[in-house]
Amino acid sequence: MAIKADEIAKIVELFYESKWKEMHIEVAGMQLFLSTDPNARLTNNAMVTTAAASSVMQPVDSSAVPAPQTSTPAPAAAEKPAAPEQVSANWEAITAPNLGTFYRSPKPGAAPYVEIGQSVTIDTEICLIEVMKLFTSLKAGANGVIRQICVADGDMVEAGQPLFYIERV
Amino acid sequence: MAIKRLFVANRGEIAVRIIRTAKKLGIETVIGVSQGDIGTLAAEMADRAVVIGPAASAKSYLDVNLVVHAAKATGCDALHPGYGFLSEKPELCRLCEKEGLIFVGPRAESIETLGDKLAARALAIESGVKTVPGTDHIANVEDAKVAADKLGYPVVMKASAGGGGRGMFKANSAAELKASFEKASREAETAFGDNRLYIERFVERARHVEVQIVGDGEGNVVHFGERDCTVQRRYQKLIEEAPATAVPDDVRKRLHAAAIQLTSHAKYRNAGTVEFLYDVDRVDFYFIEVNSRIQVEHPVSEEISGEDLIAFQLRVAAGEGLGITQDQIKLSGHAIECRINAEDPYNQFLPSPGRIKGWQPPTGEGVRLDTHARENYLVPPFYDSMIGKLIVWGKDRDQAIERMLKAIAEFRLDGLKTTLPLSAYIINTQDFRDNHITTRWLEDKGLPAFETTLE
Repeated sequence: MAIKADEIAKIVELFYESKWKEMHIEVAGMQLFLSTDPNARLTNNAMVTTAAASSVMQPVDSSAVPAPQTSTPAPAAAEKPAAPEQVSANWEAITAPNLGTFYRSPKPGAAPYVEIGQSVTIDTEICLIEVMKLFTSLKAGANGVIRQICVADGDMVEAGQPLFYIERV
Repeated sequence: MAIKRLFVANRGEIAVRIIRTAKKLGIETVIGVSQGDIGTLAAEMADRAVVIGPAASAKSYLDVNLVVHAAKATGCDALHPGYGFLSEKPELCRLCEKEGLIFVGPRAESIETLGDKLAARALAIESGVKTVPGTDHIANVEDAKVAADKLGYPVVMKASAGGGGRGMFKANSAAELKASFEKASREAETAFGDNRLYIERFVERARHVEVQIVGDGEGNVVHFGERDCTVQRRYQKLIEEAPATAVPDDVRKRLHAAAIQLTSHAKYRNAGTVEFLYDVDRVDFYFIEVNSRIQVEHPVSEEISGEDLIAFQLRVAAGEGLGITQDQIKLSGHAIECRINAEDPYNQFLPSPGRIKGWQPPTGEGVRLDTHARENYLVPPFYDSMIGKLIVWGKDRDQAIERMLKAIAEFRLDGLKTTLPLSAYIINTQDFRDNHITTRWLEDKGLPAFETTLE
C-alpha cells in the first residue's frame, strides 16, 4: 500500500517542525527523502537517473543575450543548478524570472505548493518569489511532473536560476 | 570606513570605476547585473555578482525594489547608484534609508528640489545665484518693449506653456520686437491653446561650463574646479575638458563661489555638478541646474586635482565628512575626455552594437581609459551606447590636445564603429584649438565640415 498525499504532507510538516537535518523513508517501493540542505541529494536512488544532462543545463535563460565569451563567470555567479548527474536529460528547468526570496509555501507553516513527483499543469502555482515584501507566485508553465526542487525555502535566488526541474508529459 | 560592503546598482564603465575605488578603500563589493551583463568586467571584478533580472533595464537596473532587495539579501550596508538608471530617483534614496542602507548620494529632498527645474531656479535665486534674466508673463507689445530694453537685446520670447523649442521667437532689436511678439503669441495659441508669453535674455554664443563640488550635508562644500562641456550634439556631451580656459580667471572664481553658495545653502551631501550657461559676449554666467550624482565627465576633474571623487562620495555618504579643505585642493594642468560611443559618426550616428574583435588601447604618459570593454566584449543593444571614456592630461591645453590626438591615433578598436574619429577631427580643428566654439558649433559648423571629409 502506498502513502497518501496528505500523509506525505503530514510527514513533511513534522520534519519541518523537527530539528532533524535529513529524513529518509522507504515504504511499499516508494522513497521519501527530506533534507534542510538544498544541496543534499539521495544517493543510491533508483528513481534518480544518472543520465547526463548537458541539454537541460542550458535553458537557464532563453531570453538572455549571449554573454561575453572571454572570461570565466564571476564568483558566485547566477547558475547554481543541481549537479548534472542528478538531472535527467528530459527534464526542464523552471527558472526564476528575477532575483528575490524563494518560498515554497503560500505562507509560513502551510504545506508547500508542490512536492517532488507531483503532477502540475501550466497554471499550477509552484512557489513564491518575494521582492521587498511583494510576493509574486510563479506558475509551472508546462504540464508535467515536478522532478526536482533545487532551492531551499527562504533562500535568495537570482534571475535565471533553476528552481525546479519538471518532466513534461 | 563605515561602509563594509557596497552594492553597485549600475553597469558598464561606471560600475568598474566604483569597484576600483571600493577595492582601494578595502570595501567589499557586490554588483547586481542583468542577464545581459553576466560575465562582464564589472561582474568579474566585484567580490560577488548576482543576477537581478532580465536584460531589459525596466526589469533589472530600473527596478528600485529589486536592487534594494538584492543589496540586503547579499549583506551590503551601502548602495552606489552610479549615474543614469536610478541615480536621481528619490524613491531609491528613501527606500535605502528605510531599510538601513547607506545611499551613496544626496538626501531624497535634495534630489527632489534639484530635480525640479522651477524649484532649483528658486533655490538659485534664494541663494543669490543668477539665472538667465527674464520676466513673468508679458501681456502686450508695449510691456514687452519695456522689458526687452531692460534685459538688453537680443531677447527671446517663449510660450509659458511651451517646451522643446516651440513657440520661441528671437528679436535682435526693438524694431523686430513687435513682429516676433505677435508670431510667438499666435504660435503659442495654436500649439498650446495658451498665448501667454515671457521674455528671456537670448544668449547668442554660449558655452556649457559646470563646477564639480562635493558637500558633506552639513553645509560644508569644496569644489574641484570647473569643466567645459561645450562640444555637444543634440544636448549630448561629446568632449569635456578642465579647466574652462575660455572663461577669464576672475569669472571662473565667481563660478566656483556661486556653485558653493548654492549647494552650501542647500546643505547638499554627495558629489554634484552645478551647471551654468556661459555668455561669451557678455562675459557672464547663468545657473542652469544641479546634477546630484557623479557625472560621466568626472575624470577630467580628477585628473587636474589628483583626487578620487568616488572616494569622496563614499566618505560623505558614510558620514565621515569631507576630510579636505579647499586650499588643500590643488588644480594643475589640463585634461580632456572623449566619450567613446558605439555609434557611426559617418552614418547619422547609427547605433553600432556588436562584438569588439580587436582591442588595443593607447598607453603613454597622461593617458587614462575608463571602460568596461575589452577584446571579444559584445556591446549589447539594450543600454547606452557609451563603451568608455578616453582621458588625457597635459601640462597645458596644447599638450593635452596633442596627447589626445596621439592616443586616438594609437587606439585600435575593431568590430564596431565609434565616435573616436569624429572626436579626433573636432580636437584638430582650428576652432577647437583656438577655443572659439559654442554649444551650437558642432551642429552648425563642426559636423557639416566633418561630413565634407567623407567620400
